[in-house]
Amino acid sequence: MRPDASKKIATVTPKGGPNPIVIGAVIAVLVVVAVVVAILVGNNSKSGSDAGASGSSTPAGVVGGDAGGILANPGAAKGKAPTLDTYEDFQCPQCGELEKTLGPAITAMAKAGQIKLVVHTLSFLDGNLKNDSSSRAANAAACASDAGKFLEYHGAVFAAQPAQEGAGYTDAQLTEFAKTAGITGPALTTWQKCTSSGQHAEYVTAVQTGAEKAGVFSTPTVKLNGKDISKTLTTADALVATVKAATS
Amino acid sequence: MSEPGAEPVGPPGRARLADLIGLLARLTLGVVLMVAGGLKVTSPKVSAMAVRAFQILPYDLAGYVGYALPVLEVAVGLLLVAGLFTRAAAVVGGLLMLAFVIGIISAWTRGLSIDCGCFGGGGTIAASQTQYLSDVLRDVGLTACAAWLVVRPRTAYSLDDRLFG
Repeated sequence: MRPDASKKIATVTPKGGPNPIVIGAVIAVLVVVAVVVAILVGNNSKSGSDAGASGSSTPAGVVGGDAGGILANPGAAKGKAPTLDTYEDFQCPQCGELEKTLGPAITAMAKAGQIKLVVHTLSFLDGNLKNDSSSRAANAAACASDAGKFLEYHGAVFAAQPAQEGAGYTDAQLTEFAKTAGITGPALTTWQKCTSSGQHAEYVTAVQTGAEKAGVFSTPTVKLNGKDISKTLTTADALVATVKAATS
Repeated sequence: MSEPGAEPVGPPGRARLADLIGLLARLTLGVVLMVAGGLKVTSPKVSAMAVRAFQILPYDLAGYVGYALPVLEVAVGLLLVAGLFTRAAAVVGGLLMLAFVIGIISAWTRGLSIDCGCFGGGGTIAASQTQYLSDVLRDVGLTACAAWLVVRPRTAYSLDDRLFG
């Protein structure tokens, strides 16, 4: 080491860290790390950890493709009745609010055949709340659709929504909802199998994906004949009037 | 690690001031990136959805970006806080900020009502809750920090200085 030379180099080379090759290499490493992580996480989440299940069968009542919502009032809608699509996560407090204020009117119109009610049970809140209650409840509701009791089950879940967001639903609660919905006897046995095996877990994931592809990134979202009317929903009367206006 | 013979070149006041401004820029950008990335890194699915909510990239690509962003932010943030490879980290950090600014302005001008998901969360929110202007101003400020560091990566108390200075 010759101090003279190093001192000379120091004066010639501008101070300011490593040379451009190192800088380029660091940028490249950062980008590669990001890409690798993205692919690893992407593959990991594609293999479907939701509700820990295997089932792929689409539940009864699904309309509009494998990622579509569940028709909550099959056979009831009259000819000119508009389609009301609701996108809800069973753990979403605002959805619980919507069910309280507008739920009765929606259910009444659905039963009277004034609307074709299609419910999309989303599950993205599992990610926010770090549990799996949205997926499990959505799967359980799909199983209830197999038993022809989707609307009843859906209502029972929201009626028992925990006051604390994120508290979730226990398996025992999900079973309670099935009984409240009027699923009994052999149908209850089938429902139980369907629920505990996560039979419709893939469908639940597909609904979430389908909603995002349709531009739905929050719940509750309500569409009337495909038009987002979420922002106009203030009172049950307003909703009924909007539906009437869309019926021609 | 300075050799006995090489006495520290006492920088004139202005250079010292610039080093300290650089330090401020480095720590500001670095800490914000670390916090933003750290809040998202444990919930990649939420991050993916936040990116999809911008509706700019195709569904799958947006997902991958969402998975990668938090890790990249934490990595760049750590480098900046440590002052290691400052210029390289600032290039990446600055490009990220530019992309965020463009994304947010794009969502804003298209009339979307979304949370940028910058610090976790994301997705559609009520129009009255959007904060595009403050988000953009923040990210423009951070872009300025990055720009300073790209132009003048030398900062006070950096590992770069210790290792390569």
